[in-house]
Amino acid sequence: MFAYILRRILYIVPIALGVTLLVFALVHIAPGDPLNAVVGPDAPAEVVESLRRAYGFDRPLPVQYLIYLGNVLTGDLGQSVATGRPVVADLGRALGNTLILSVGAAIVGFTSGILLGALAGWHRGGLTDRLATLVTVIGVSVPHYWLGMVLVIVMAVELNLLPAMGMAPGGEGWGFTTTHLKHAVLPVITMSVIPMGIVARSVRATVAEVLQQEFVQALRAKGLGRGPVLRHVVRNVAPTIVSVLGLQFGYLLGGSILIETVFSWPGTGFLLNEAIFKRDIPLLQGTILMLGLFFVLLNLLVDIAQAALDPRMRRS
Amino acid sequence: MTLRFTRRLVLAGAAAVALSSALLPAADARAQGVLRIGMTAADIPLTNGSPDNGFEGFRFSGYTMYDGLVNWDLTAADKPSVIKPGLALSWEANPQDTTKWTFKLRPGVKFHDGSAFDAKAVAWNFDKLLNKDAPHFDARQASLVGFRAASVASYRVVDDLTIEFTTKAPDSFLPYQLSFILMASPAQYEAVGKDWSKFAAQPSGTGPFKLTSLVPRERAELAPNKAYWDAARVPKLDKLILIPMPEANTRTAALLSGQVDLVEAPPPDTIDRLKSSGMTITSNPYPHVWPYHLSRLPDSPWNDVRVRKAANLAIDREGLGELLGGFAVPAKGHVVADSAWFGKPSFDIKYDLEAAKKLMAEAGYGPDKRIKTKAIISPSGSGQMLPLPMNEFIQQNLAEIGIDLEFEVMEITSLINRWRAGAKAEQNAGASIINFSYATVDPFNAFVRFVKSDLHAPNGVNWGFYADPAMDALVSKAQNAFDPQAQAEILGQLHAKMVDDALFLWVVHDVAPRAMSPKVKGFVQARNWFLDLSGVTVQ
Amino acid sequence: MDATAASSPAPARPRPVRSPGYWTMVGRRLRRDPVTMACLAVLLLIVLSAVFADLLAPADPYKASMIRRLRPIGTPNYPLGSDELGRDMLSRLLHGGRMSLVMGILPVLNALIIGGLLGIAAGFFGGRLNMAIMRTIDVLYAFPSVLLAVAISGALGSGLTNAIVALTIVFIPPLARIAETVTTQVRGMDFVDAARASGAGSLTIIRVHLLPNVLGPIFVYASGLVSVCIILASGLSFLGLGVEPPQAEWGLMLNTLRQAIYVQPWVAVLPGLLIFVTSICCNLASDGLRTAMEVKL
Repeated sequence: MFAYILRRILYIVPIALGVTLLVFALVHIAPGDPLNAVVGPDAPAEVVESLRRAYGFDRPLPVQYLIYLGNVLTGDLGQSVATGRPVVADLGRALGNTLILSVGAAIVGFTSGILLGALAGWHRGGLTDRLATLVTVIGVSVPHYWLGMVLVIVMAVELNLLPAMGMAPGGEGWGFTTTHLKHAVLPVITMSVIPMGIVARSVRATVAEVLQQEFVQALRAKGLGRGPVLRHVVRNVAPTIVSVLGLQFGYLLGGSILIETVFSWPGTGFLLNEAIFKRDIPLLQGTILMLGLFFVLLNLLVDIAQAALDPRMRRS
Repeated sequence: MTLRFTRRLVLAGAAAVALSSALLPAADARAQGVLRIGMTAADIPLTNGSPDNGFEGFRFSGYTMYDGLVNWDLTAADKPSVIKPGLALSWEANPQDTTKWTFKLRPGVKFHDGSAFDAKAVAWNFDKLLNKDAPHFDARQASLVGFRAASVASYRVVDDLTIEFTTKAPDSFLPYQLSFILMASPAQYEAVGKDWSKFAAQPSGTGPFKLTSLVPRERAELAPNKAYWDAARVPKLDKLILIPMPEANTRTAALLSGQVDLVEAPPPDTIDRLKSSGMTITSNPYPHVWPYHLSRLPDSPWNDVRVRKAANLAIDREGLGELLGGFAVPAKGHVVADSAWFGKPSFDIKYDLEAAKKLMAEAGYGPDKRIKTKAIISPSGSGQMLPLPMNEFIQQNLAEIGIDLEFEVMEITSLINRWRAGAKAEQNAGASIINFSYATVDPFNAFVRFVKSDLHAPNGVNWGFYADPAMDALVSKAQNAFDPQAQAEILGQLHAKMVDDALFLWVVHDVAPRAMSPKVKGFVQARNWFLDLSGVTVQ
Repeated sequence: MDATAASSPAPARPRPVRSPGYWTMVGRRLRRDPVTMACLAVLLLIVLSAVFADLLAPADPYKASMIRRLRPIGTPNYPLGSDELGRDMLSRLLHGGRMSLVMGILPVLNALIIGGLLGIAAGFFGGRLNMAIMRTIDVLYAFPSVLLAVAISGALGSGLTNAIVALTIVFIPPLARIAETVTTQVRGMDFVDAARASGAGSLTIIRVHLLPNVLGPIFVYASGLVSVCIILASGLSFLGLGVEPPQAEWGLMLNTLRQAIYVQPWVAVLPGLLIFVTSICCNLASDGLRTAMEVKL
């Protein structure tokens, strides 16, 4: 097991490096001058040039990359061009806010998805199964930014039950109060639809497959209680489900930009949006890099968890 | 300013000081309420005294916490606002050598950190923008506001309360320019370890509000500066909270659900809904114009004055106003018609399709000879109002007189780049129009930068390379007019010439709609980009 | 958007070269599947109405009218209301389908060709080439698809071409992976060994033995991506990163109509409804196709 973990960790090093290279390349293929964000409309050319030097934009690209990599390794993601604040600080806050949504959506989406999928798989072909299939298809087919809009229209504009946007009144930070929870309801529900569909689909398929196994069929035929069968099913289903859940959590974190835009939630997606439209290169790099690395890490954890649950995986 | 005018300012200043001691306790006793404002900026504008985010930055992060030597009078809603003494009590250009200006500073003013404001602090603040060798020179601030002091050649501390500026050439607009250079505290800069980004987190100015907490992108909290030097402007509020809300719908939603008390620029479509929910809508014209800036290069179709006039007559500004929910003033020129600088142009800009078609025919265009040209536009941006629908509307209007517009849409930051590059730049090839809103708050930014022949790229933003010796002569005359009346007169002539030559395609002036909860009292929407929030209370 | 990962390529079951009756059988199976047939019919309708939008649209989708803006559904002459510029919604929805379908299908097609070739090359030649290709793909896999699409098109700037490039890059990794997996398996099968023993060259083997067996699964998998791509593409436009105004495109229409949720909420949600219907039909049709073709992914 230890050797396996080590192997996996070694395996992600080149990937992580590739991620930094890609992130670096990404922002340099971009048209537009990164200094746009900082320079006042009438600024004289010599001031623009001095800023360019100050930010290192005049160095050759490979040098810029090595400097960048060195900084990243020491935990320095640079300063926002637009505000001069360290990217790390802004990113930390935003990540926290995105986590609130993602964790909420994960709890709602995963629980309902697992329940629905398990019921459907257990009673294959029944009403639950058809319902689960429907939910699954809707979950993976619905443009969630549109669903968010519809929910806002119904719950906020028409019924005035829940706040339409924002994280809290007056731009306050997060806290576990009724007001805050009310703000989180709509974005969390909207966000949870996709993982719910996908988790339900995977759980259903895996449960059904395990139940098809001869061994289980025999157990059931013998009239053995549900207990042993269930235990067997859980043990066999767990590794697959853990991997699906892990990936889905990663997608929630990395894919929050649309939801955060619809609900004006001050998370990483919001930050990304701003960085893109202000062409704030360090902020853009930092945000994408952080989310990318987080995803890589999550994949590693999923692999390890899977291996822990299923010894066969370690050999592959 | 003339000597006579200066004396009047000194008197006014003295009166204000006298008044302040009388009013101070009363202002304290009335302190009440928290005002939460939803801004259109995506982030809290820089709080270090050189705000970004254009004039919204100056409005909320600038004049709230800081003062300039010269301030804007924002107390009246019924007339265009003018400059008035700020941290300077008076100013005067030397009649013998008009490049030399003496500014007498206001005594007894303290920064929020308790240190004293004096002439040395003024020089220090100009060093941060203009003196590259100064240890506290900040390229970011220099790029954001330094250009406004571009005519300043040098400055000299005469005594504690006197500073002398020397301009590169006679420049009667200097007081206007200095209203954008805000005074930050040198002592605080030292105290936070000589780091501008730390200073922005714990800023110290002389303004009516001081920053108490700053959460980037989420909120800034400001508390009143009870020791503000102008007692009449000590804020009544307990707290002012600024919240960035770049999404127009978010602002509406936040106001409706009581998350904020006042929002900037509510989308016109939601105004009815806001009104029916009991919200108050205020609006007022201010020095803003939404034009098409035209190229005057040889290949431009706009070199014929008849075509320019025809375009100006082809725009149905009333119809466009409807799109904007009535929140726009049809443009009659570069500035609003009751501005002191409007002058007496003979060309009356209005919607007259027949006249426009006639002019086009005279210029040799017709159904089988149409003008095809390209306009650079942006989908959003400060002061751009609703650029996409408005541009499409104009596209249709112009098509009726035989001008076919094609749009090149880009983000506002790219557009600013194209704007700075000038029409001649390779990237602007084929484009004869750039749609960028202008602030016409001070004479240089309202007129000079667009019409002076040598201010084209890279020296300035005369985007279209317009050049007319007669116009240059007028500019020079205005810059040498140190009597405010005479200066206004000449600027009027200059503006009349702009209109009669139809130098731009002028469309509308914004009226800056704002929506607020009925709990907000005492809000005055001055005819300016800036606001004075000191009289506001929230119940 | 997450389906790319949800069905991250599991071992496929390749089959030897098919009998000529295979496609007849697939067709027969499809015809007996009412859900799939219904979905295909709806999709056909959507595609046809997009193709013939010029003939079907009752009005000019770009003709604005300031005095008739934001009319409700059912207004005379505006059966589905009018948008924020007073343009006829029905006409714009019909025309908007074009861009949305192009942006939903073209990137998947591009990625199918590029990713498929990469995957087949990696799977067939193995060794270093496999390493080089698949590790690069792994790096792209290190980003959630939404993030990758937003990052690339954000970097390139808005515009139809840039959005298509970004989406193509997003869909290359899953298609390359699946092609690689299937190819590796087919390559190890008896009939390929036999062909090689009889002296057939690589190209011949790929063309005659590999492609027919590999294309089916990849194609079915790609058809499932179309629905993801439509949502993602409209999502980019919704963020302001896709097509540019005044172009009619569902995602962009949804974006510009968001300002109207307080005025005409039910007109504002129409473009999203179409994205939803198209996407769900694509998904179900792809599932049906998968079952009918007996491809297990």
